[in-house]
Amino acid sequence: MKILLMGHPNVGKSVFFNRLTGAKVFESNYPGTTVDFMKGWMCIEGEDVELIDVPGTFSLEPKDKAEEVSVEMLEENRDCVVVCVLDASKIERGLYLALEIIERGYPVVVALNMWDVAEDKNIRIDVAKLERILGVPVVPTTAVSGEGFKELVSKLKASAPVKIEEVIKNAGGGESAAVSG
Amino acid sequence: MQEVVKVPQSVDERWDLIDKISRQTVEFGAYKHTLKDAIAELTVKPLTGIPVAIAVIYGFWSFFCDFAGTLFTDGFMVRLFDEHWLPWLQSVFPGGLGNPLYALMIDAGHMEDGVLVASDNCFEAFGVLTSGLFVPFGVVLWAVLAFYLIFAILEDIGYLPRLAVLVDTVLHKIGLHGYAIVPTFISLGCNVPGVTAVRPLETRKQRFMMITLLSVFVPCGAQIGIMQDLIPELMGWIFLTLVIGYLGFGFILNKIVPGKSPEIIMDVPPYQMPTFKNVMSKLWIRTSKFLLVAVPFVLLGCLIVGLMYLTGAMDWLVAVFGPLLMGWFGVPSETVAPLIAGFLRKDLAVGMIGGLMEQGIMTTFQVFTSVVLLCIYFPCLATFALMIKEENWKELLGSLASLVAMVFIYGGLIHLVGIMLGVA
Repeated sequence: MKILLMGHPNVGKSVFFNRLTGAKVFESNYPGTTVDFMKGWMCIEGEDVELIDVPGTFSLEPKDKAEEVSVEMLEENRDCVVVCVLDASKIERGLYLALEIIERGYPVVVALNMWDVAEDKNIRIDVAKLERILGVPVVPTTAVSGEGFKELVSKLKASAPVKIEEVIKNAGGGESAAVSG
Repeated sequence: MQEVVKVPQSVDERWDLIDKISRQTVEFGAYKHTLKDAIAELTVKPLTGIPVAIAVIYGFWSFFCDFAGTLFTDGFMVRLFDEHWLPWLQSVFPGGLGNPLYALMIDAGHMEDGVLVASDNCFEAFGVLTSGLFVPFGVVLWAVLAFYLIFAILEDIGYLPRLAVLVDTVLHKIGLHGYAIVPTFISLGCNVPGVTAVRPLETRKQRFMMITLLSVFVPCGAQIGIMQDLIPELMGWIFLTLVIGYLGFGFILNKIVPGKSPEIIMDVPPYQMPTFKNVMSKLWIRTSKFLLVAVPFVLLGCLIVGLMYLTGAMDWLVAVFGPLLMGWFGVPSETVAPLIAGFLRKDLAVGMIGGLMEQGIMTTFQVFTSVVLLCIYFPCLATFALMIKEENWKELLGSLASLVAMVFIYGGLIHLVGIMLGVA
């Protein structure tokens, strides 16, 4: 099994990588810290799993040399599970990349990282509903403190490819009771 | 793995879907302005941000000088090396002054009124076991530690993107984005990761310009550490000269290099409390990398330069290049030796200039000119190797051509200014 960490720049992919593999990849609080991919190993239920940390990318149409690396890694690893790391406080932006990856037929697990920041900003996310619509596991995480990692790891094996038509159907017309002023 | 689904959605359809999803799942509560936001604003608005930036950089510099320079190097290491290590080696190492092996390993000595005299400090001695150890462990290690400690904290707080926003206007005038401040700052520690850090820049033109400017005008932490120890009084002038060169030649490169310099939109992340663990981990990785790469090169540099002196190769080079150095740049022909060492390690080379200075060969202005020349004439070997990897051959040739042009134009200009001021 292979896991690819993807997401926007500066959402905490490297923190995920270091926490999960015990490696020491540079973590900094600015976009563009990681400019090349990094491989590491972790163990899930006795199985050795390869984890790949890639530079942050906004979409699958690369805009710079670092993004090219990420898209290449995604294409080279057709058999991987993608952990799509989102900034929970800017969820719409991150979903764009997540949908692109889902459309390409990869099994995805969505990590809503920086959950603490979203809470600070008073942003509430209905995780269960998001999971129902996307059809993939969605886990709130705070990577710097390690919250949500156990749950994330436990859901890695449960992820399976989803047809985008399903997501469109689940999303329906978008009318909702959850909207508030 | 099943067949890959052809992307069925257009960009608009995808955003439309996201809109539907988020309307059902995300709820934005009332947002309270917090203290964090207030601080965040104060550090990006020019009126308050610029004084903050100056304070941060000044604080950084003071810590660098006090911790590395005064406390460790002057307070402890210089005494250890000059008063104990050097005299001890001079007394126990077989051979003695004039012996080739002794010259190579301990002290080559220097001529004073026709007599070969022993060195009394580790900058002058220039043996593998004296200067070769003093430069990395006596001076540079502490500078590197101090630099990376503060740098890691600034990185983790998230200050760098704010600095990028502040300098954006200035850097746009030379066709670069504010983000360029990130690779520049990283290069002040070491040019090697600095050159790698230009990858997030969008166009080839921006990457090319940035790599060229970095490798020419940004001195690394090791070099700064030695300069600060040897010639603290000249540091301001040296930095000013380099900044003017960086901006001036950036402006020119932007005019003559084909291609575009589009706007890059960069996220300014929220401030975060740095964690002790992460700061220490980065400090350890960077410092150990420095020791691993720098120490062998410094020792090798000492050995090569020592051998060149012994075999007469250096005298030959001095005779050949001396007139050019003297005539065009106004520095003594002996500067050839540090320039040779500079290919391997700039810190070692600056140390050699210190040695020449203490022998009274150079005037203050010549020290200034030669240190600036040493910064700009060629990237160190490690940086050059990386440039070969990061640039295609056309860009590499372009970088080298700009480098040669910049060295001759700028070096000559400095000489000219010196002549006009009557100090050269």
